[in-house]
Amino acid sequence: MSDDTKALEDLKRALRRLPGIGAKSAQRMAFHLLGRDRGAARDIAQALLRAVDRIGHCQRCNNFSETEVCAICRSTRRDSGLLCVVESPADLVSLEQSGAFGGTYFVLMGHLSPLDGIGPEELGLPKLEALLEGGVVREVILATNATVEGEATAHYIGELARRRNLLATRIACGVPIGGELEYIDRGTLARAFSGRREA
Amino acid sequence: MHTDGERGFILHRYPYRETSLLLEAFTHGCGRVGLVARGVRRPGKTFAGAHLHPFQPLLLSWSGRGELGTLNRVEAPEMAIGLKGDAMWCAFYVNELVLRLLHRHEAHADLYDAYDDVLRKLSQDGSQEQALRIFEKRLLAGLGYGLALTRDARSGEPLYAHQTYRYLPDEGPVAADAKSPGLVVAGATLIALACEALLDAKQLREAKSLLRMALKPLLGDKPLYTRSLFRSMQAQA
Ligand SMILES: [Zn+2]
Repeated sequence: MSDDTKALEDLKRALRRLPGIGAKSAQRMAFHLLGRDRGAARDIAQALLRAVDRIGHCQRCNNFSETEVCAICRSTRRDSGLLCVVESPADLVSLEQSGAFGGTYFVLMGHLSPLDGIGPEELGLPKLEALLEGGVVREVILATNATVEGEATAHYIGELARRRNLLATRIACGVPIGGELEYIDRGTLARAFSGRREA
Repeated sequence: MHTDGERGFILHRYPYRETSLLLEAFTHGCGRVGLVARGVRRPGKTFAGAHLHPFQPLLLSWSGRGELGTLNRVEAPEMAIGLKGDAMWCAFYVNELVLRLLHRHEAHADLYDAYDDVLRKLSQDGSQEQALRIFEKRLLAGLGYGLALTRDARSGEPLYAHQTYRYLPDEGPVAADAKSPGLVVAGATLIALACEALLDAKQLREAKSLLRMALKPLLGDKPLYTRSLFRSMQAQA
């Protein structure tokens, strides 16, 4: 690599560190920013710097927040006795958009993944335990993904809750609205059946 | 080279390149294989990889020789094996053992059956410890490091249930006198392990120590993630 392409190579290498970005996409993004949209490049650089400087984690719910305690956790209109545990900030956003939930959250920023060496400590569960100890939470709603690791995580946190005599519930899993039974995979159908309730 | 409708399980999955998954699979006919599932992580194709999870019996079709095959088709002939709670942690431990101890592209049909069997046992109500010990015993045998469970390694006599033995890693069980080295194991434990009979609580403890000792040189110095996680979880309980 010659000196006159070093900055470009550094940029491509930096972009490749984004999830889902390979060599080709990184090159495309770099050429686009440098060739067509230098203003955007500066904006992005500044926004990134501002974000990493200002955004930390909410002390209570672990979600990204610019303040020590985030707006959801501060809100007096939300029921802090209901705690919904999700894997990612994106999951929280989805739930908020659904408008179905008026309680508060805990964001794990991942899931237990035994074969990757991600255990309770690595996932920061002591912070969740401290919250459960606080005497405010009545019910823990486990809204981790319906994957193997998500289920393992839900089970583990469910145990943490039960050991403290808190109610632990798992979100229902089943037939999507507008879904035709014929086209639904067997696993989902089986879960929908085992989770059936009185009509 | 094409392989069609091979029975298999996913042991572990990693994101691969921009939109793909790299799967570590354990198959009946081809042993451990590395497979690339292309394009299943594209946004909006959330369910393309829906079956590609651990503990789901699969029929896998792939092509290619060399280290990584390309997954062409996947079918789920039955539902995922229902593992709850501790059973799932046990099953992760089983997966880690298989990942650590089996080399790619070595067929182990007998071990595949043992793997299928231990997952199903773990999903039932019986003893998880029992299921794990039988699997570990079969795993060692399948890898060519089977335990010596029939005769006294020195005298050549059959094992007696009431006799206490010392199990020497390189030799096998030897009728014990108090001074001999090796792991103390009751004859009854060795006999029960040999015929895969139900082990009682004391026998399970002995079998655990024995199998751990036998697995140790194969696993080397790198600790098993699942084992240390188990320990930290039990410490909290
Ligand atoms: Zn918060």
